[in-house]
Amino acid sequence: MRTEKVVFAFFIVLALTLNFGFFLGDLSNPLHHDVYELFAAIVVSLIATVLKFGDRTHLGSVFLATSLVADLQLIFAAIIWGINSQPGLPLEADTLATIVSLSGGALLANIISVILLVSETVNLRR
Amino acid sequence: MSNLIYLLLRRLRSPLITLILVYAISMTGYVMIPGEDGNHDPYQMSFFDAFYFVSFMGTTIGFGEIPYEFTQEQRYWTLVCLYATVISWLYGVGSLLNVFQDPAFRQQIKINSFKRSVSRIRQPFYLICGYGETGRMLVNDLAEDGILSVILDPEEGPINELEVNDLAISPLWLKADASDAQILEIAGINHRCCSGIISLANNDRVNLTIAIVAQLLNKNVRLIARADSQESESNILSFGANEVINPFETFASRLALAIHSPALHLIYEWTTGSRDKRVDEIYTPKNGKWIICGFGDFGRAAYRYLDEIGETLCVIEPDRNRRDLPSGTVIGRPTEAATLKKAGIDEAVGIIAGTGNDPDNLSVLMTAFEINQNIFRIAHQNEEKNQPIFEAANLDLVMRRGNLISDKIFALIRTPLLGDFLRIVSRFKKARANILASRMIGVMGNDFPELWELTVDKKTTPALFSRLEQSQVLVKDLLRHPDDRDQSIQAIMLFLKRGDGNVMLPEDNRIVHKGDRFLMCGNRQAHHNIQITTRNDQYLQYVLTGKLLPDSWVWKKIIAYKEQLEARKS
Repeated sequence: MRTEKVVFAFFIVLALTLNFGFFLGDLSNPLHHDVYELFAAIVVSLIATVLKFGDRTHLGSVFLATSLVADLQLIFAAIIWGINSQPGLPLEADTLATIVSLSGGALLANIISVILLVSETVNLRR
Repeated sequence: MSNLIYLLLRRLRSPLITLILVYAISMTGYVMIPGEDGNHDPYQMSFFDAFYFVSFMGTTIGFGEIPYEFTQEQRYWTLVCLYATVISWLYGVGSLLNVFQDPAFRQQIKINSFKRSVSRIRQPFYLICGYGETGRMLVNDLAEDGILSVILDPEEGPINELEVNDLAISPLWLKADASDAQILEIAGINHRCCSGIISLANNDRVNLTIAIVAQLLNKNVRLIARADSQESESNILSFGANEVINPFETFASRLALAIHSPALHLIYEWTTGSRDKRVDEIYTPKNGKWIICGFGDFGRAAYRYLDEIGETLCVIEPDRNRRDLPSGTVIGRPTEAATLKKAGIDEAVGIIAGTGNDPDNLSVLMTAFEINQNIFRIAHQNEEKNQPIFEAANLDLVMRRGNLISDKIFALIRTPLLGDFLRIVSRFKKARANILASRMIGVMGNDFPELWELTVDKKTTPALFSRLEQSQVLVKDLLRHPDDRDQSIQAIMLFLKRGDGNVMLPEDNRIVHKGDRFLMCGNRQAHHNIQITTRNDQYLQYVLTGKLLPDSWVWKKIIAYKEQLEARKS
C-alpha cells in the first residue's frame, strides 16, 4: 500500500461523490442543492487536478483532461451562481437548473475519471 | 517543450495544493462567520465576497474590509488567514523560482531551444563535437566561408565565449556531451542538411565513442575525427570515419617529407596548410643527427618518420621509468646543457623539442642554440596563448596542433576530393612530385592556390550538363578561356573521380562524363572563368566551337536570314 496512491484515489473518488451529492435532487429546487457542497466539490476537484499533474503516461494525460473538464464545468456553475444571486433571496428556478445541469456535466467527467482509476487498478498485476 | 511543462507542474504540485487548501479554508470561514452590514443588520458573506476578499488579502494588496466593515469575530479570522495565505503564496513563488534556478530545468530549456533552432536550419551545416582551440579556429574559418556550424562541448571553457561572438554566421551551440546518442540526434545528425560530423575532443576515447555512435545513427554522414595516437587512429578509421587527423603524425610526416621530398611537402602545404602565409621554399637541413627531446605522442611520431628516411636519431627522455624507449636514449632533463651535450648536440643538425610543456620546450631550444648556433630548431607549441613567445624565439619550425588540425579539416571540408588526392600523391616518386609542384606553381601565380571541385551535374554546371546530352566534351575544352578560346585558363585538373574510379591528373583528350567530379587547382580568376563556361550556354558554345551565338530574337532572325541568303547565292 502506498500513501501516494491512497491520497490520489481518495481525492478522485471524493470529487465524484461531492459532485454527485450536489447534483442529486430536483433540478430547480433550491432546497435540494447546497452552495457549500458546490464549493467543496470545486475545491476537491482542483486538488485532484493538481495531483494529476506531471504524469507523462497516456493514461495520466487522460486523467488530467477529465479533471480539467470537471473543473471548467464546476467553475462555470459557480460563476453563474455568483452573478445571478442577490443577497437574501433564493435563486430563480431557471438559473439553478443551468447550474445543476453544468454540475451534471462535471459529474460525467468525474465518472470517467473514476472508471479510468478502476481500470488501471484492475490491470495492475501483482 | 512538453518535458518542461511536466517538470514544472510536478515540482509545483505541493505549493499549489497548499494554496488551494488555504484558500478553501479561509473562504469557508468567512462565509460561515456572521457579519453585519452598515446598519448593524445581520449579513452573511457570499462565496463571491469571500473569494474576492481572500484574493486581495493573500496577495497583500488589501483594499480594506469589503463589502461591509468587519465584526470583531471576522477580524480574528482575518488575522489567522492573513498569515496563512501570505505564507502559502511565498511558498508557491519560492518554489517556482527554485524550479527556474534548477540546473536540470535550465539545461532542459537550453536543449529545447537548441533543438528548435537546429530543426529550423535550412542550409548545409557541420556538426562540431569539441570546442577547444582547434574547434574555435575551425568555426571561425567555416563562418568566414559562409558555412554554419553546430557545436557541442560538455565542458565550461571557450564554448561560453560563443554567447558574445562576432562571427559572420552565428553558430548554434549546446553545452552537452556529444558521445550521448540522444544529444547527437538533437544536434541534427539525421538532419537532411547535415554535411558532416567533426569530432575534435581532446580525448581519443571520446572521439572513438562519437565515431561509433555517429556511425550507428547515420551511416551516410561524413565523419572527420581527430586522434592523438596511432592505435586510436586506426581504431576510429575502422568504425567508418572518412578522415582521421592525427596532428603529431601529420606534422612528423610533413617534416620527413621536407627533408626527403621537398616538392611533396610543398604540395601538402599548399593544399592543406595555413592560409596566412604561403610557403614557397623549404630550407632542408642536411642529413645528419637529430635530437628528439621528450618521447610522448609527438616525439614518438617524429622518431618513427625520421627513422624511416634514415636519419640518425638520439632521444632524450626525463622519465627514467619508461620502458618503450629506443636504444641509445639519454635519460635526463633536456633543459640542461650537460644532457644535451651527452646526446651529442655539437654534431647534431637538428633538435626537436616535443615535451608537453611550452616553457620547457623553449628552454631546451635556447640552450641548444647557445651550444650549437647552426642547429635546426623545431618546437611543439602546446598552448595557443604562448604563440607570441614562440614567434619571438625565432625558431625554424613550430608545430601548432590547433592550426594544423583546423587547416586540414577546413581544406577537407571545402574540397572533399582532397583526401583521396593526397592519399595517392603521397605515394609519388620524387621526380613526379616535382613535375606536379611546378605545374601547380605555373597556374597559381603569386596568390594562394585556389582549390575547388567541379562537379558535372544539373545544379552547379547546367550548361555543360545539357551540352553533354548532344555532344562529347573533352577535358581540354573546359580549360579554354571564355573570352578567347585559343588562350587557356590558368588552372589544372589535379584529380578526377568518376564513380569509384580515381584518375590522377586527367589527360587533355579525356572525355567528360555526367557526374564526374574534378579537383581543380588554379587562381581565383580561373575559378570564375570556368564557372562562366560551364554555366552559360553561349560561352560554352563559343569555347567548344568558336561560334558566337546571338542572344536576342531579332539577331537570331537576322543571322538565319543571312545564312539563307548565302546558301541561295552559292
